[in-house]
Amino acid sequence: MSEDILSEVRRDYIYRLIKNGDRIGGRKADEYRDVSVEKGIIARAEGSARVKIGNTDVLAGIKAQIGEPFPDTPDKGVIITNAELVPLASPSFETGPPNENGVELARVVDKGIRGSKAIELEKLCLDAGSKVWIIFIDIHILDHDGNLIDASALASMAALTNTTLPYIRYEVGEEDEALLIKDTPIATTCADIGGEIVFDPCLDEENASNIELTVTTNANGDISGIQKRGAGKIPFGDISQIVDSSRRLAGELRKKL
Amino acid sequence: MQNRPEKLINDGVRLDGRGADEIRPIKIEAGVLNRADGSCYIEWGGNKVLAAVYGPREAHPRHLQDPRKAIIKYRYNMASFSVEDRKRPGPDRRSVEISKVSREALAPVLMLEYFPRSSIDIFVEILQADAGTRTTGITAASVALADAGIPMKNLVSAISVGKADGEVVLDLIREEDNYGEADMPVAMITETGDITLLQMDGNLTEEEFIKALNFAKKGCESVYKLQRRSLIEKYEKSCSD
Amino acid sequence: MSEEVVIPGCFLGESVTAGEGTFVEENRVYSMVYGLVKRDKKEVEVIPLSGKYLPKAGDLVIGKVIESTFSMWILDINSPYDGLLRLSNYPKRIEKEDMQKEMRVGEMVITRIKEVEFPMRINLSMDDRKCAVIREGVVVEITHTKIPRVIGKGGSMINLIKKKIGCNIFIGQNGRIWLSGSDKKIELAAETILKIEREAHVNRLADRIDRFIKEKKKGKGKNAK
Repeated sequence: MSEDILSEVRRDYIYRLIKNGDRIGGRKADEYRDVSVEKGIIARAEGSARVKIGNTDVLAGIKAQIGEPFPDTPDKGVIITNAELVPLASPSFETGPPNENGVELARVVDKGIRGSKAIELEKLCLDAGSKVWIIFIDIHILDHDGNLIDASALASMAALTNTTLPYIRYEVGEEDEALLIKDTPIATTCADIGGEIVFDPCLDEENASNIELTVTTNANGDISGIQKRGAGKIPFGDISQIVDSSRRLAGELRKKL
Repeated sequence: MQNRPEKLINDGVRLDGRGADEIRPIKIEAGVLNRADGSCYIEWGGNKVLAAVYGPREAHPRHLQDPRKAIIKYRYNMASFSVEDRKRPGPDRRSVEISKVSREALAPVLMLEYFPRSSIDIFVEILQADAGTRTTGITAASVALADAGIPMKNLVSAISVGKADGEVVLDLIREEDNYGEADMPVAMITETGDITLLQMDGNLTEEEFIKALNFAKKGCESVYKLQRRSLIEKYEKSCSD
Repeated sequence: MSEEVVIPGCFLGESVTAGEGTFVEENRVYSMVYGLVKRDKKEVEVIPLSGKYLPKAGDLVIGKVIESTFSMWILDINSPYDGLLRLSNYPKRIEKEDMQKEMRVGEMVITRIKEVEFPMRINLSMDDRKCAVIREGVVVEITHTKIPRVIGKGGSMINLIKKKIGCNIFIGQNGRIWLSGSDKKIELAAETILKIEREAHVNRLADRIDRFIKEKKKGKGKNAK
């Protein structure tokens, strides 16, 4: 995810630890760092949540607007997900339009939510063809210590469960209504480090690895998104075990919502 | 945009007459461009895709140079006329992401350490799109890289698999992509079985996912044979003048 | 066709020595380029059909001056890497102000790869009697992987061209070839060399080239095959 350059000795150290079944911070291969979810912290947003996974810190805010539907889906609302890797989060983040990492991050979160049908887009339609709710999910990375995707996906989901649609403000209803959430897709990411799979990689581990796999799973265990990242390759036979672990770990993360 | 066909699959037969695990007709030609160091043209079902490779050449701007190896640039670009509704020219978020994952899909086979400080530039133009453009692009780029004489450990083959009308199907067509339940592009080094690209949009049960993955593997094996043949044919043609 | 053409990743053998264009994984030798297999008693190598020239120390190449700085000339050597010809590696002592007079930007130079330093810094020298600035004739460029065909076995092809056409030919390892003589002879030699590049893999190439030159000299059959 990051272009930080890891020193050779640090890389060797990380490899050595993992080869010996150990890990920075003494975690097990499939153990997450401490995860905290704090909802409703931005009063002006329709919904918000701040998620910390270890030292990684992500804030997601939801804004809703009335707008026109896409011409090919006149009876459906719109979700737009955007991620900003703001420069306060890491010395390697720069100002300017989102780079490919930011774009990928936002799209992976977005596809997980869409794939699971967590939000019923039809329910966001106010007047077919002319008036629908447009839900903006904006992700701000505040502090980058690896595994931004899981933190961002969790923050986005948490913020959505905390969202109230402002019917009164837009004069389209008598009462504001909570956004209806049908499912809770959870992204879990693992990295391959010297042939060993570790979940929730911290920044140093990400930099020591050249391959990560994010698997998004739903409450019922179905898969609603997959993304392989990095210049490495995954043996065919490893995939199903990773998916199994992802599902199990997602179950634990889901409880934090 | 056309309306959703009532059924995508009728008694196991897809809209274009294929069975669930059959691929569309594919035609691959290596070395079709003059200026590029390597190139490839593919017609894959309704897709028409050109790939060109330039390099290794000096990496610009200079700060991008890596003293240990070559860097790879990959540009996936859809022609504005390649789709039904005109696509606004230039990179959008989708093409930025596709370019990134495609580059990462090819990286595992490229022996970049032979060309420190240089850049290998891959340009993929989607001239006509009919679902599976990124996998068609990767398949073409892989042939173009070999055609350019770039040292590689193997070819990368790619195909998309997904779910339509509740069934796992290989090599989606546009209708299945638009109205189906899942789309999963996969790239593999066929001979070793290593996966170099894996994405999934939509929803699959674990059972469906495993089935899809195995379909993709079979598909990549067929694609690999065609890639190989295109390169052999290019050489044979040069001998038979 | 007797030649065996392979694509990257083709298995070539087990207990054989891995030559150029190949790599080894778990004692098995594979091709790493698209090219033609060459097997010796013990060694297997793959001659690439295409690709960029990678400078090797000792190679004589033809470079084009693209920049002249205060202490060196920078030459494009038809490779991903530019060659650096430092004043200190120049055969005669010249003042910095006179560098432009010795070698101007745009001029072609026969030069030798002195050394290849990490990471691919190419130092050039002029310490070979063939090294010189090219001030007459024409330089043609072909894919460097076809250079062996132009030379032929033991120099047979190049000697054939020289003898039949009667012009001077210098072959740079980087795919650039310098032709000098009368314009007519240069034109025919250039045409012949491009034909060899195009038809490098055709059987009995020498016979075809011989015939081609003969017909051309008679001035008939523009499209002589």
